[in-house]
Amino acid sequence: MPNIVEIAVGNGNFTTLVAAVQAAGLVEALQSPGPFTVFAPVDAAFAALPPGTVQTLVQNPPQLARILKFHVVAGKFTQADLAKVKTVESLEGSPISINCQDAFEVKNSTVVIADIEASNGIIHVIDRVILMG
Amino acid sequence: MTTTTATKLPPSTHQFADVIHRLEAGGAMLPDTPENLMQIIGLYKAYAVPMDFYWRDLLYIAERVFINPLPAFKYFLPQEYLDLPNHYAGDTADLRIWQKGAASAHPELLEFIENGRSTKMPKIFHHLLHDRINMEFAEACMQAMYWHRGMGGRFDPYLDTDEYKQNADRAIKAYFKGNPAMLGLYKLFPDMFIEQVRVLSYYSNLGLFWEVMAPVFFEMSDLYDEGKITSVPEAMDFLVNGIFAVAGRPIYHHVYIDGEMFEIIPKSVGFTWLYEAALPYVEAVFYRTAPFRGTKSYNAQAEQVPAEQADFHYGILYADVNPVGAAGIPPTLLMDDMYHFLPQYLLDYYEQHCRGKDDMLVQLGVSFQRSMYCVTSAVIQALRAALLYPLDDSNPEHLAKNRQFFEAQIDRFKRPEARLSDIQTQEYR
Repeated sequence: MPNIVEIAVGNGNFTTLVAAVQAAGLVEALQSPGPFTVFAPVDAAFAALPPGTVQTLVQNPPQLARILKFHVVAGKFTQADLAKVKTVESLEGSPISINCQDAFEVKNSTVVIADIEASNGIIHVIDRVILMG
Repeated sequence: MTTTTATKLPPSTHQFADVIHRLEAGGAMLPDTPENLMQIIGLYKAYAVPMDFYWRDLLYIAERVFINPLPAFKYFLPQEYLDLPNHYAGDTADLRIWQKGAASAHPELLEFIENGRSTKMPKIFHHLLHDRINMEFAEACMQAMYWHRGMGGRFDPYLDTDEYKQNADRAIKAYFKGNPAMLGLYKLFPDMFIEQVRVLSYYSNLGLFWEVMAPVFFEMSDLYDEGKITSVPEAMDFLVNGIFAVAGRPIYHHVYIDGEMFEIIPKSVGFTWLYEAALPYVEAVFYRTAPFRGTKSYNAQAEQVPAEQADFHYGILYADVNPVGAAGIPPTLLMDDMYHFLPQYLLDYYEQHCRGKDDMLVQLGVSFQRSMYCVTSAVIQALRAALLYPLDDSNPEHLAKNRQFFEAQIDRFKRPEARLSDIQTQEYR
């Protein structure tokens, strides 16, 4: 079974995310055994950010890494697992709110594809870049 | 008050329902009128010129003056820092926000440093005659951030970590190398020195924050002059986009001692402009600050000062510009600084109102208040965009959460000192 990075690279909807993970130097970490739960924003989510946002982050890998770590949780949590909790703690350290009541929402994003299994965790595809706070 | 709302929710019952509806329609707390737009843009330009000095000098003090026990010349900016390239202007910019501007100090600032409002003379005389940029204002803002502390973000907690103390210790020892008296004092009172370095880290924080804001304001002024910003919401949107564009800018504190760079707060800890500088700045300076000793006095024993720091409400969004403007205190210093760089259209405008030239500082103080209500609106809209939902979201639950957020933000202006209701009309001058 492919790992989280291999799945993201193989899927055409995550080119910005993959480039950001590479720029932030997180490829190795996300290829490690983990397991991790990754909330992966699609390309359109990054494109919706105002001009310059991604450019500034890519110029500054530690800051970019922090934002990306907010999209990762230690442990493997399926949608069914997440339905039982209200928040999970991101690798960045800040909590991520979860709402599974009607739609499957992660903070202010909506999960468009849930439960993509990887060898070292699980991916939930989200429609917006989520930010701490 | 104009209300343009396209909300799918029932009308808000908030005390400032019109403002809530305006925010929901993509507007600002400040009504969209040409007069407001002219005032806020003119003030941004007048603010950006002294700000170009503030950020350079804040970084100079944080990076070079450092813990000099007698920093008598800390306001004497060396050429190196006047030339220091702004990261958001000029050809070398990381992200060029001010399109026409150079990366070095603004020409109007250089002219003022040279001649002041009097005449050309050695810098020391300009300094002693107080014919200069009022750097004390920038330091008062820094002190507000330092004193309130703990306003979110990771910057402030980091200042108490062993890692930070070790970094500061290395720099202190290097700075006082060959000075047994100061090293002896450091050994006796280490915490006092570390605390001083924490203050300097806030100098760096605010300097890096304002390094961004100066070109943002210059660019807004240029766009207004070219007819490319034509409304208050457009001005606010420019600010919102600017906040996002530089949100990931690193906040750090580097010190240069004998040509060697010491990283007190390295870039690698991942601190960002938005979380570690902008949001604490707005909270500390726009909302809280501290009671000013001026013509108005406060009696803490009579509970005229809140017991909780979070309830402090002495920032520009609450200030009574008139009595405050009558005393020799920080906001007056800023008004004086901005007065030197007002665009002609605002000079003409103020001459037509109130007491003309005689109360121009008060009039521009009120315009400044309007301009900061616009900046605060941009912060509120940026936070809404980052943490909540689009204004045209089709899900009513999402819209309800947006409203809840807007109402909670506007609740802070329910207290009688707040100027939100005043700025809704032009009679407030």
